[in-house]
Amino acid sequence: MKMVESDSLAQIVIGCKRGDASCFSQLVDIYASRGYGYFYRLTGSSDVSDDLLSELFVKLVEKINSYKGGSFEGWLFRVASNVFHDYLRDKQRQERLLKSQKRRIESKAPDDKVSESERIDKLQEQLGKLDADIRELIILRFYSQVSFKEIAAMRSEPIGTTLSKLHRGLKKLRELMEQKL
Amino acid sequence: MNGQNEEELKGLLKKLLNSPEAEEAIEDVRKGERILSEHPVPELYKQVIGNIKAEIARAILCKKAAAFKRTAYKAVAVAAAVILLAAIGVKLFEKGDGEPGKIVTASIIPEVIWESGHLVADDAELATLTAEIEEIESEILDVKLGKNGGNGSAELAELEMELAEINSYFWEG
Repeated sequence: MKMVESDSLAQIVIGCKRGDASCFSQLVDIYASRGYGYFYRLTGSSDVSDDLLSELFVKLVEKINSYKGGSFEGWLFRVASNVFHDYLRDKQRQERLLKSQKRRIESKAPDDKVSESERIDKLQEQLGKLDADIRELIILRFYSQVSFKEIAAMRSEPIGTTLSKLHRGLKKLRELMEQKL
Repeated sequence: MNGQNEEELKGLLKKLLNSPEAEEAIEDVRKGERILSEHPVPELYKQVIGNIKAEIARAILCKKAAAFKRTAYKAVAVAAAVILLAAIGVKLFEKGDGEPGKIVTASIIPEVIWESGHLVADDAELATLTAEIEEIESEILDVKLGKNGGNGSAELAELEMELAEINSYFWEG
């Protein structure tokens, strides 16, 4: 994972606040793969992850002035989490709208469904078996690399709860992966 | 897990759990995160990165254009307000056909008492009456002091009558 010195990151963020496109470009170089990993592990789809990643960086352009210091990674992944939840809400809304036509759509595209499931790797499959909240916590922790204190603050829960969920989740994931192997 | 995060995790778990349990939990977390490291996500295409950068450039332009529009709208609103105030000002100072406005004067006696309607003339009359009263008063004083040597009491009565007449004339207006 690409890491960056806090001083040079601060300079990049200052440039972004001035509206400097090259500074935003540097942010993309630093965080694109972590952001993509975060979205990919949550959605299991490359196409959706590409779109969400693009949306994340456009959101950064809009919201960069609301970053008032502290951990930049924490702030960035908070925005990423909001982008993901907006996507989930939209998806649920679309699913509700298409519910009446669901059977017809599924019967027309069986091949797509098979190929999608084939693309999902083992880890993705096992991650899907975890509780959604715990899955999101594990992925956020792994890709954002922010401290537990910040993660607990982002999720508005006590740090002990966050730690306990992460521990249980990772232990369960390991057990699932070992069973599979 | 980077070094700093591992230290934080150890510290927190040791606070919350007893030592062997904390060690076990740290090991679970470490192994779990190793699984994630060993299963990298598909590579992100350079084309996607390029598209994102182009999208960002467009978003920055839109943001700058929006900021410029906001400033321009504010400037237009301020200019409109200034023009409106100036127009109102001109209207107020330029009444009618452009003739100078009437100068309003006030009498030293309130209009309700004077009830004349011609204050400039009334002021002149007031001055005349005041002068006459003062003159009669001085004549009365002379008579009282016997300065003019005539029939003092008759003159005094005559002057007092004259004064009473002026006084009533004064209040009649």
